[in-house]
Parts: sequence; C-alpha cells; structure tokens
Amino acid sequence: MMVPPKKDNVFRALDRKLGAVAEFTMRQYRTKLSTWVVLGVGFIAIAIVVLFYVDSMQQEIEAIDNDGDSADWDGDGYPTGQERIYGTDPDNPNSHPGTFTPPIAPDPPEKWINEDDFDWDLSATGDTTTGYDDDGDCRLADTTQSQKDRNRNNIYCDIALDYSEIRGEWAEPRSDGFVDEDPDEEKYGKEAIHRAFLLAIGKMGFVFLLGIFLPLFLATGLIREEMENSTMHFMLAKPIARRDIFLGRIVGYLGVVWPYIIAMGIIVGLISGFAGPGDGLFRFSDLGMWMAIIFATMLATLVYGMLFCALGTLWKRGIVLALPFAAWELGMAILSFNAPSASILRFSVIGWSLNIIDAASLIIWPNLELFINMGLWGGGYSSNYWGSELAGADALSAFASNTGLGISPVATIVVSTIVLLFQALVLWIVGSAVFKGKEIE
Amino acid sequence: MMPDLQQVGQAQTQQWAPEVSAPVVLLENVSKTYGKIHALSEITLALSGGVTGILGMNGAGKSTLFNLLMGKLKPSSGSIKLFGTDPWKNPAPYARIGFVPEHEKMHDWMTAHGFVSLFARLNGLTREEAKVEAERVLEFVGLTDVAHKQIGRYSKGMRQRVKIAHALVNDPELIVLDEPLQGCDPLARTTIMNVIRELGKMGRTVLVSSHILHEIERITEQIVILHNGRLLALGNLHAIREKMDNIPHTISIGCENPKKLAKDIINNDAVFGISFPSGDNLQIQTHNLNEVHKELPSLIVDNNHKVSSIDNPDDDLGSILAYLTGGLG
Amino acid sequence: MNEGEPITPPQIPQSQPIPQPIVTTPQQPIPNVTQPIQSVEPATTPMATAETPVTGQTRMEAAWGSSEGDEDYTEMASVGHSGSGEIFQQNYEPWRGELNPRWMRNWAILRHHVLGIVKKGHRPWGVPTKIFLVLVFFASLSDAGLTLLASLIGESEFHSMWGVNRDNLYGHVLGFFPRNVMYYPIVAALLVGGVISEDRNHGTSALYFSRPINRFDYVGMKYASVAIIQAVIIIFTLFLYYLTEIMAFGRGWAWIIDTFPLFLGALVGGVLLIITYTSIGLALSSVSKGKFFPGIGLLAIILGTKTLAIIVKNLFDREILYLLSPYDCLAHVGQALVKTQPTYDQYSWTWSLASLIVMNAISLYVLSSRVSSMEVTRE
Repeated sequence: MMVPPKKDNVFRALDRKLGAVAEFTMRQYRTKLSTWVVLGVGFIAIAIVVLFYVDSMQQEIEAIDNDGDSADWDGDGYPTGQERIYGTDPDNPNSHPGTFTPPIAPDPPEKWINEDDFDWDLSATGDTTTGYDDDGDCRLADTTQSQKDRNRNNIYCDIALDYSEIRGEWAEPRSDGFVDEDPDEEKYGKEAIHRAFLLAIGKMGFVFLLGIFLPLFLATGLIREEMENSTMHFMLAKPIARRDIFLGRIVGYLGVVWPYIIAMGIIVGLISGFAGPGDGLFRFSDLGMWMAIIFATMLATLVYGMLFCALGTLWKRGIVLALPFAAWELGMAILSFNAPSASILRFSVIGWSLNIIDAASLIIWPNLELFINMGLWGGGYSSNYWGSELAGADALSAFASNTGLGISPVATIVVSTIVLLFQALVLWIVGSAVFKGKEIE
Repeated sequence: MMPDLQQVGQAQTQQWAPEVSAPVVLLENVSKTYGKIHALSEITLALSGGVTGILGMNGAGKSTLFNLLMGKLKPSSGSIKLFGTDPWKNPAPYARIGFVPEHEKMHDWMTAHGFVSLFARLNGLTREEAKVEAERVLEFVGLTDVAHKQIGRYSKGMRQRVKIAHALVNDPELIVLDEPLQGCDPLARTTIMNVIRELGKMGRTVLVSSHILHEIERITEQIVILHNGRLLALGNLHAIREKMDNIPHTISIGCENPKKLAKDIINNDAVFGISFPSGDNLQIQTHNLNEVHKELPSLIVDNNHKVSSIDNPDDDLGSILAYLTGGLG
Repeated sequence: MNEGEPITPPQIPQSQPIPQPIVTTPQQPIPNVTQPIQSVEPATTPMATAETPVTGQTRMEAAWGSSEGDEDYTEMASVGHSGSGEIFQQNYEPWRGELNPRWMRNWAILRHHVLGIVKKGHRPWGVPTKIFLVLVFFASLSDAGLTLLASLIGESEFHSMWGVNRDNLYGHVLGFFPRNVMYYPIVAALLVGGVISEDRNHGTSALYFSRPINRFDYVGMKYASVAIIQAVIIIFTLFLYYLTEIMAFGRGWAWIIDTFPLFLGALVGGVLLIITYTSIGLALSSVSKGKFFPGIGLLAIILGTKTLAIIVKNLFDREILYLLSPYDCLAHVGQALVKTQPTYDQYSWTWSLASLIVMNAISLYVLSSRVSSMEVTRE
C-alpha cells in the first residue's frame, strides 16, 4: 500500500499548502471590485455614525437649573440660592446679602445652575448611602427634618441606594431633599453619550453590521463561486486535502477582514478617544473597550465566515439559508438589549459576541448600571421619577445591558470566547466534511 | 527542441513511491450513474506509460471518467486505483498527477507565473521552490516570454498551455488532459501536440481526451474508445482497424492514368470496387488491406504506372468510430 | 466488371432544403457548381448494400455530429472526393408567419417567471426559495388565523389584540418585527437574487434578446413577475386577513365602509413596499454578476440603514438618518396613510415620501441604464 507522504513539520507543511491557498484568496479578493465596494460601504456606514458622534460631542448640552435657584425672584440682584445660604429672604427685595457688613457681592446666576452635582460613589455594592449636598441647601437650618431625611434612613442629606439581590439590579435611588438636585447636564450627558456611543457602535455597528454583512458578502462564495466558475478543478487536482482548502480559504478571508476590522476599530477608537469627554487629551480608559469590540467582531466574523462558507458549499443556493439566518441574528441582537439572559440567545452567534462587549463594559466602567440610574434619576427634582432624566441616560440604558450569563465579567469573556471558537471549530468540521463528500462536476 | 524536464524543486511530499506492481491507472468494473442515466458502465481498464487517447463523442463519458480519476466524483460501483490508491476523498496520489481540466475559466487576474507557482505550492513546494518550478514548466510549454502577463490577456492556445504547465509542476507521472486542444488555432494545436508527444517520449503516462479524431491520431496510436459510457475499443489504432477486416477499406491512389491502373488491379480477388473521384485519382475498395498492399507495389512496377501517392483515407479514427458505433447508434 | 464502369458508393443521404425561420434578406440560391463526377447508377456490390455510406467522413458525421470545423483541409479533402460531391440548392425564404402582439410576448416572459414558483418547466426558482416563500406566506397569515381563532373562542380581548384594526392593518404590511426583518426583505432578496444577474451569467439574456423582445419589456416583465410574487405574499394575505375578519365576525357594510380606507391605506403601503424593494433589488441584480451579491446587498441596504438609523436616533436623538432607510420611509408614509400614531416626529411624512421617490428613481435609473447597455454575451 501507499505510504502517506512524510511531513517535514507542521508549520512548514502549512506554509506550503495552506499558506498558498490563503495568499491566493487574499490576492483574489484584492482583484474583485465587490470587495472594495463592500469594505467601502462598511466604512461609510460606520463613518456616518462617527460623524454624528463627533458633532454631538461638539455641541453643548443645555444646562438646566433644576431647582430654579439661579433666578432672582425679588429683583435684588442676588440669585435665590445665594440668598438662601445667607439666610436672607429670597422673596424680599430689601433682604439680601448686600445689606451685610461687609456687603457680599452678588453671585452671577450661572454659579447657581448645575451647582449641586452628583457625588455618588459609583463603586458601591449592595445597599449604601452616597451623595453630598454641594450647595448646602439641604444642610440649612431652615430645612425641615423631614426634608433632610426624606428617604428615612436616619442619615441626613444623603441618597440611599438599594440593591435588589433577587432581581440583580439597582432599585430607584431614594434621596433626601435638595441633595445632588442640580447636576451638571453637560458633564453627565457627554460621558453617558460617549459610553453609549461605544456600546452602540461596538454592538450594532461592528458586531452586527460589519460582523454579519462582511462574511455574508465575502465568505458565502468562497468555495461556491470557485465551484460555479469551475476554477476549483485546478485546486482539487493537487495533493491538498479539501479540509485544508476550506481552511485556507477561510484564513485568506480573515486575512482581509481582520485587518480591516482592526483598522476600523483603531480609527474610530482614536477619533472617539480624542473627541470624547475627559480631562486628558485622550481617553486611554476606553482602550479596553475598543480591544473588546475588535476582539468580539473578529470572533463574530470568524464564526459567520465559517458558517456562510459552509452554507455556500452545502448548497448551490446556500444564500437561502444564510439570509434568514442573518435576519435571525438581527432579531437576537435586538433581543439581547432587552433580555440579555434569554436562553434563546445561547443559540445565536451574536448573543455570545455581544456578551464579550457587555462584559468588557462592566470591567472598564464598573457599576455602569448605577451610572445609568444616576442619569435616569437626574436629580429627582421632577415629580415624575423618569421625567428628570439627563441627556444620554436613555441612550446609555438602551445600549448597555448585563452579560446575561450570571457570572463575573472576566468569566463571561472567557466562556463566550470558548463558545465562539467552539462554534467555529464545529462549523469548520461540518463545512469541510460537506465539501469533502461533495461531487464536483 | 524541448528543454529537459528535470526536476528542480523537489518537494518533500514527493518522496513516496507508488506501489511498484500497480498500474498507473486501474479501473475495475467502474460505473457511474445519475439516477437512471448511466454515465459510465462497467469500465475495466489498466493503463501504464505512454500517451493514450480517450475518444468519444460529447456525453460518451470522457469527462466523467476523468472526474472519477481526479476524485471529484465517487464511483457508483467498482474501484478506481491510481498508483494503487483510491483517489476518492484522498488527495495523496495527486502528488504524482497533473490534470488539465476542460473548463475554460481560469483565474484571469493572475499572471501565468503566479498561477503556476500557486499550484506548485499546493503540490507541497515552498515559495522559492515554486518559483523555480514555475519557470521550468513555463519554459517547457514555451511561455517564458509572457510568463509575467495576466492570463486574461492570453489567447486560447496560450491559456491551454498555462493549464498544461500547471499540470506539469512537480514532474507528475500521470498527466490527464481533458480536451486540451479545444478551440485552439492550428499553431497552438501543433505546439500542444508536441508537448504531449514529448511527455509521452519521456515515459510519462498521458491521458488525452478528445472528440476530434485527427488530433488524437496525430498524437498517439494507443486509444481507448468510449461510447455511451461503455468501453468500445482499446489498443493500437491500426490494430483495431486491422481486426475489422470484414469491413471495406479504401485505398486512394494518385496516378497519371487511373483507368489503366484500375484495369490491372481489378483482377485482384480482394478488390471489389473501384471509383474515380478525379482525373488523376483512383479509389480501391477492399476487404483485405494487407493483401492489396502486398500486391500493389509489384503491380505498379510491373505495369510501369506513375503513382504519386497511396493513402488509406479511412484508416483513421473517424471511420473506426463510425463503424464501431454504427451498430450502437 | 468493365473498365469505365466505376463503382460509386451509394449516395449520401440528401437533406431536403427546409425553409429557414427568420431571414430578412433572402439569399441567392447557390448554383449547382459541381455535379457528381460519375452520375452512373450505383452498381450493386455486396458491401455497399449491406452498409450504406462507405466514406469515413460521412459515417463520422452521422455518428458523431458535425466536427469542429477546423480540421486539416488535406484530410478533409481525402474523403471529400470519394465519388459524389454535391451542393444542394438552398432556398431561403423570409418567415411569413405573423408575430404575436407585444403583450403576448411579454405575457410569455411574465408567465415563465411567475409560474416557475408552482410548476415545473418554467423558470427554476430553486426548491429552498420556494419552501421559504410558502413558509412566509403562511407566517404572514398568522394574524388572519388568530382572528379566526378569536372568533371561535369568542374572547373579545384576544380579538382586540389580533383582529382588524388600524394598528394591525399597518402591522400586517409594515410591522418591523418579524415581518420586515424576517419575511419581506428576505423574500425580496431571494427573488431578486439572480433574476437578472443569473441571466447574464448563464448567457440566457442572449436568448431573450435574440428574439423580438425589447429590452425594456424584458426588464419590465422581470420586475412585474418579482413584484407579483411579493404581492401574493404581502397584499393577498392582507386581503385574506381583512376577509377573515368580515367572514368570521359577520361584519356588515357599516363596518366595511368604516375600515375600508384603512385597508386601502395598508394596501397602498404594501404596494409602495413591493415597488421599492423590487426597484432596489433589481438595480443591484443588474449591476452584479454574482449569484449572492444582489440578495445580500438588498438585505444589507434594508437592515443596514435601519440599524444605522436606530443607532443615531437612540444615541443622539436625531431621526434624519431614517430618510436613508427604505423601511423607515415606507413605515412613515404607511403611518400617514393608515393614520396610526407616527413614530417619527422630527419631520413630516412627505419627506419620507420624497425620499422613497428618490430611492426608486435612482434604482430605476441604474436598472434601465444597465439593462440598455448590457452586453449580450455570456459574462
């Protein structure tokens, strides 16, 4: 019987055959117009969202005086807040700190807008008390006892945070009167919109749009088009296993898609790092998020690439399966925002990929949920709890979600990665088995 | 004329020997059916060495046979052995095989050199070895000058030669060419035929399929005839022709005075018909070609005829195929 | 046998001149240039009677069909003079039949495509596509089925949830999930997938254009057939849904007069949806050669623009990007037609309508310019 060829070593063998197929595939992509159209349109789509983001970062968020103490009701030139601190009557034009000796100069009204910003301890875990009355209007002598401890936790001028172990989420914050009631909209809104942008562009822009449509366009025909064009005959007549051809084609496809995703991630990451809010010139703290976004998208394109290539191999009209699957994944993506722990998500690819980004967001921004709650509470000045929310809080709450696995973020990333790699492996085995048993005319 | 087909870049994966006693190609009772259609039925065939022409009309099963050999199709029954190994789901034997598919589509965006070296790498050569190997085979098919132009700009004949070049990498022992002469101009034909003949002389086993009879005749005398998926004839072209001696042969003689020659020759018992297609030509119909040929020279010399040519116009594949398939329709 | 009495092989079977179908310029009959060299009656010889033609060439032609035509002339000649050569007189006559009217030819194209869904022998749509169409057809009827169920169990709450009302009529055609994620865009994508690009790829467009068919008829009928198949799935099911309500609940004229404008509004919305998806899809199909590209492209346009618009709306509270999304423009116009609560409030629905018109205009321009400049070769 024939002795199978002796391999010199694994890597050298891979370079000889697999490397050749991969290199060939990449060069083939380069010559196709459709590749450039698809990559270009992907860039434009992401760029549009980035433009909106940069634009919104440049715009000032209107500062709202929630408690109305910047107004000078009595017309004496002193804002109400200043008068209350000094104990003069805000409604009496003759009673103001100017009558003091020495007279105190009136504050500009802007000083009494956004004067009581959030002082929350965002690292809080479990039931806790937080907040500080910056402008001192809670601690004034004329504030009644019931106002000072409206949340009845026996601590004056604080905000009580209750963590529900059962539901695994923060309850509505309960505040004492006049505490953190006039937060800085600009400061919170910019930060919230920035975080929401990262989550939205990462989850919907990168993982969903790029993650599904790049493989749909680029990977579905990897084997099928060669078979249809009958150029596959050349390759099949060479001593290379079909499994290796399948893998080599996928590697070549990844050789195009992965650098593209990494480049896009770096470009958008740089733009958002410079344009985003923060004290420094560049937001280095987001780097982890971008790494997670790029990583999750790379894994998604790997699994989808294997899947769509296998579907294309399996069936002349593999697209009939691929398109509904893509729509299914969009449905799963939408579902994951609302019900991240739904078990049906375990049967999708996108659910696992989004888990990685969600988990990373929880590592990089601990207690993101509390941050969202803070914005939704927004000073609590409105009679309606949800009516006083700050700009960006809604957006952030829409795009952020828990990981849904009920384990720590790091474990979520590890588990999701393993699951995705496992999916890719299974699809590779199935795809190449299909290809191997395929009769090709 | 042809450069030496000496192996330059020898891949490691080449270092295995085929089963010594096994024929290069061995088919045993191979059938391939698609539903009720029998593309090939009960083919038994063993081939080793030299050029063999596979003849058959469109749909006779030539391409099916080649696709079976190349492991693209699975035989419905029977066994196929290349160097003693079944090629289905096993690409190992292809290290010793070169295949030229009939399809015209190629990777038009590649250069011939890039194309050939790509497939050399698939044969297990490293990048550098593949480059050297590509140059060697492109020289062999006479494309060195244009090796770095895109295949899309090539003429059909040049494209065919690129395909042959790609099949020749790593010096295969069996070369399978599916309709290599299709759509080529006479010049390209001649070049390709020379290449094929050269390969045959080098002791390679070459399988060439065609439905054009004259082509095969010019390349080889060893033929396999397929018809409707069945093996019709196998062996030397002339030997096959000889065996069909109950079927009339025609001898065409060009001479100055055909009528006079006809008068002399009609006395031979083997001759049963004579006709005069033109003023200086004579056609003799006979059952026994050998006997006529034996007598003809003496007859010409004795009677002092001036003969310019003697041909057997239908001792070609065309008439053989026609006779053989006449009964099968 | 005597000298001068040659034995000619039997005659080659003669082909009768047949009138050629469509030849506009009648060719001159070719004069008989060569007569058979010896026109003597064929002498009967044992072999010649047993086997009719003796020459290899004719036997080959008979057995193998005509040769490639580029054999060596010398070899041809050696068999060509085997006794009798004759050139038959060919009479070319223009086709005298009457061409069916244009609509009939167009009807044939339309029929070929639409019937391909249900019958063999017409355009092969592919079994998976057909299965998907059937599944979507029944899935689209879910509201009709639930209405029927409501009438059977007689629970009014259930009926108010699924029965015919403003929101449900809108939702039947333009509801986002699942209908405009899972059903209609994919149906459109599967249908337009190869409708023009496959013709180009397989060279069938050459078959069409070699017949008395105008290119715009060709593409128009492709358009109509794709639209009709979608209409069966979207509009016919809407009609069935409405009918189910009338039948199951015994609705009278008053109710019908009340709700008919809503039904009509949903119907117009559905027609707009079909037209828009078909235009974009066929434009993509005409620009691409691939099999997968048009379908994926259409889905990417519909779902991609929608996703981008959702991102921008939710992040920055700007709806302007919805104008780029075909689905959202349709939904906005549909909301105005059926007069449900609009979900887009930063601009008027006329903007969406204008955007739809622009989308259709661009697509149809691309389609028509591509088809009119299409090279009828196999690409």
